[in-house]
Amino acid sequence: MLPGLQPLRRFKLKAHVLPPAIALAVLSLGFLPAHLRQLGLEKLSPPVFAAEDAPRALWPISIDYPEDGSIFPPGITPPTFLWLDAGGTSWSIDISFADKSAPIHAVSSGEHMRLGAIDPECVSSTNQPPKLTLRQGATWAWTPDASTWAAIQKHSVAKPASVTLTGYREGHTAFSQAHISLSTSADPVGAPIFYRDVPLMPSKGTDGVVEPLAPSAIHLIHWRLRDIQKPESHTVLRDMPSCANCHSFSADGKTFGMDIDGPANDKGLYAVVPVQKHMSIESKDMVHWNTDGRAGQTRVGFMSQVSPDGRYVVSTFAGPMYKLLQSYYVTNFTDYRFLQVFYPTRGILEWLSRATGLRQPLPGADDPKFAQTDGVWSPDGKYIVFARAEARPPRVQGQPQALYANDPNETQIQYDLYRIPFNDGKGGTPERIVGASENGMSNNFPKVSPDGRWIVFVQCRNGQLMRPDSQLYIVPFGGGVARRLRANTSLMNSWHSFSPNGRWLVFSSKSRSPYTQMYLTHIDADGTSSPAILIDNATAANRAVNIPEFANTDGDGIEDIEVHVADLPK
Amino acid sequence: MTMPDLFRSKRSRRSLGLPHARRRICLAALFLLTASPLLCAQNCTPPESMKAKLQDKPNAAVYNDLGVWFAEKEQYGCAANAFATSLQTEPEQPDLAHVVFMFGVSLYFSGDFKEAIGALQQAEQLGTNEIKIHTILATALDSTHETAGAIAEWRAALAFDPESSTVLDSLSSDLLLANDFQGTIDVLETPRLLGQRTEQQSANLATACTKTGKLDEAAKVLREGLNIAPGSLPLVHQLTAILVQLGRLEEAKTALELALAHHPDDALTHEALGVVLARLKQMAGAKEHLERAIALGDSTPAVKENLARVLAELGAEK
Repeated sequence: MLPGLQPLRRFKLKAHVLPPAIALAVLSLGFLPAHLRQLGLEKLSPPVFAAEDAPRALWPISIDYPEDGSIFPPGITPPTFLWLDAGGTSWSIDISFADKSAPIHAVSSGEHMRLGAIDPECVSSTNQPPKLTLRQGATWAWTPDASTWAAIQKHSVAKPASVTLTGYREGHTAFSQAHISLSTSADPVGAPIFYRDVPLMPSKGTDGVVEPLAPSAIHLIHWRLRDIQKPESHTVLRDMPSCANCHSFSADGKTFGMDIDGPANDKGLYAVVPVQKHMSIESKDMVHWNTDGRAGQTRVGFMSQVSPDGRYVVSTFAGPMYKLLQSYYVTNFTDYRFLQVFYPTRGILEWLSRATGLRQPLPGADDPKFAQTDGVWSPDGKYIVFARAEARPPRVQGQPQALYANDPNETQIQYDLYRIPFNDGKGGTPERIVGASENGMSNNFPKVSPDGRWIVFVQCRNGQLMRPDSQLYIVPFGGGVARRLRANTSLMNSWHSFSPNGRWLVFSSKSRSPYTQMYLTHIDADGTSSPAILIDNATAANRAVNIPEFANTDGDGIEDIEVHVADLPK
Repeated sequence: MTMPDLFRSKRSRRSLGLPHARRRICLAALFLLTASPLLCAQNCTPPESMKAKLQDKPNAAVYNDLGVWFAEKEQYGCAANAFATSLQTEPEQPDLAHVVFMFGVSLYFSGDFKEAIGALQQAEQLGTNEIKIHTILATALDSTHETAGAIAEWRAALAFDPESSTVLDSLSSDLLLANDFQGTIDVLETPRLLGQRTEQQSANLATACTKTGKLDEAAKVLREGLNIAPGSLPLVHQLTAILVQLGRLEEAKTALELALAHHPDDALTHEALGVVLARLKQMAGAKEHLERAIALGDSTPAVKENLARVLAELGAEK
């Protein structure tokens, strides 16, 4: 803008002056008599009578949670049952067991679903306070007390428990009903979940540039640990002056790695430290990606993963030919629900030896003709599974700005999953994973099950990370038919991680709220998943949880993490 | 030539370069200034603070400020006039697209839907692309019964906010109007937020399911809808009609009893329940509800004939 010119003032539209969208009622509402008459019911002659002893039909209750067939981990805190019922005004909950133990009877006089507490520090003009949706506002809720839930869990291991919810009007007339079954797995979760707890406060500067979070709010990012047997999480790391991002644990739970920005927004730092109850990240623990510059100018790692034995880290780098902005498509939005889209369009896999401190390309996954990313280790450390697509520039000249997540103006990229032998860093020939490739979709963010049999990955239309349409799929490690997980919710399913015993998967979803929540699903020996189980109370109702990862340690294995790196930005 | 003609050239809009588009806006604005009786009829008194600026060779920015001032006072006709003057004064002004957008919005709120549509379409052509313009333009197009155009605009709005109830309500209703039943199903079948549907969306989805022969699915949608909005007579009536068609009379009876729990004096519901009970050979109950319907003002011949039939059945039983 020229000096002296004032920006054009804009008036705000007032919702109340908008006329009604259109007269909808004529389409489908308010037409009973006509319909009945059209159906030949205007006269009762000749009548077609039903049997006199027809049973009374009970109104069908909709049980939203837990879903029929849910499998709970042993010891998880009591879930809140949620249902919708136009008929009942009070309810009985009857739970019977296949082991012939005494059934459980409980009553609910009807409490509505409620939101959790708000973090006042995360209230912003760029987000909205969490609110119940129309459906949630009509939802009834019941949470069994701890002893009732313990009894339910105890008697639903061998065979599922049958839950009958009956609605009553005027005290005693049964009016509505629904049944579900639920069971408790014999498989413990066995490890706490380490996750990032973030505000959703996009920031638009005076220059119009949108950032996912203002620098002044970075300290609001917390890292927390959750033992699902406890009612709340505890914070292990907070008030970081510098931005820290993706983290990973070695499979043995002994080593922890995390991206941490250094001085002058230097994104070339990576911390690798041993896991212990009181952890401390010191300057000596910081890896300066590519200290000697042999592996290219760009020193930003993406989705770095510590190897199962903790000796190596594999990550995505731009490679020697490109700078950062030539290898990533990034757009930030002011819509707090999906505020960023971010994925590599070029890149090679490189591995760092912690022993030598040197980073080297992984032959077979270092072809500049491709974007090679999301590298993860097989549990034996012999293979790396990764996502690959033809390389392309992040943007072409004149490409319109994407205005929202999944805008067709985003740079289009669809990844396929491949696997490659690590071979002590010598790499090999990448093999395409059938079932997770060449299907017109973007197949990305693979995670290999601890027994090495399965890969669970994200499928979406374009790109990766925080995609509204992302769904979780499972495919045999060697390739085969991919199956959509039963646990998928209606909106965004990603950031998944296997429990150390491989029987549980934790993931994030926005189906209940724009403020992302964490869920668990049981994965049986055949790779079949169960309906999603919410991890309650993981954060405030106006904060989001993401990048959950099982840490192979005790429930209280990490008490706190302190960062003592002298040259971090203040 | 009318103003919509000026906006809607037969030439492809894509082939219109910006200078052409600007010239058309300029001509439209001039037309508005000279020919709109609606706007001339308004008493457009500018604020004291702006009078000096307006007397001294005002530029477009002054008229834009004036337009915003009028819009904030909800004097949309005056606002449109001010923006029109601005566009006439400076057809190549910075942020032209937004000025044209505000011009169109002002026309819309002043009730001049047809001219608003032209201006808003020009604003889109000039690069305005946000949910507000698509929503207003769609509403304006609905007002003038240009359903196909409205559908396109609602879809554009939906891309910005796939969870918007207003947009989903309106888009699905327009799709039904256009007899695009599968399109309606596609839009509403899988809500992004955990089964979330408004009353309107439930009704529209059930209608689309019914029209495509999926009566069981329609009934399921309506029951879900009623569980969210238990007092909805339209939904319960729609459900009853489907259940009767399916021969599921006991379920229809339950649904109608549910409706009467919320609306004990609704004559149509009593009539429907009377009919359903008669079908179930529950004549005493049928009599009670048909009589209640009549007492509540239902005076259709059908209800009287049905009552007579029920009374006859009861007499025969005795």
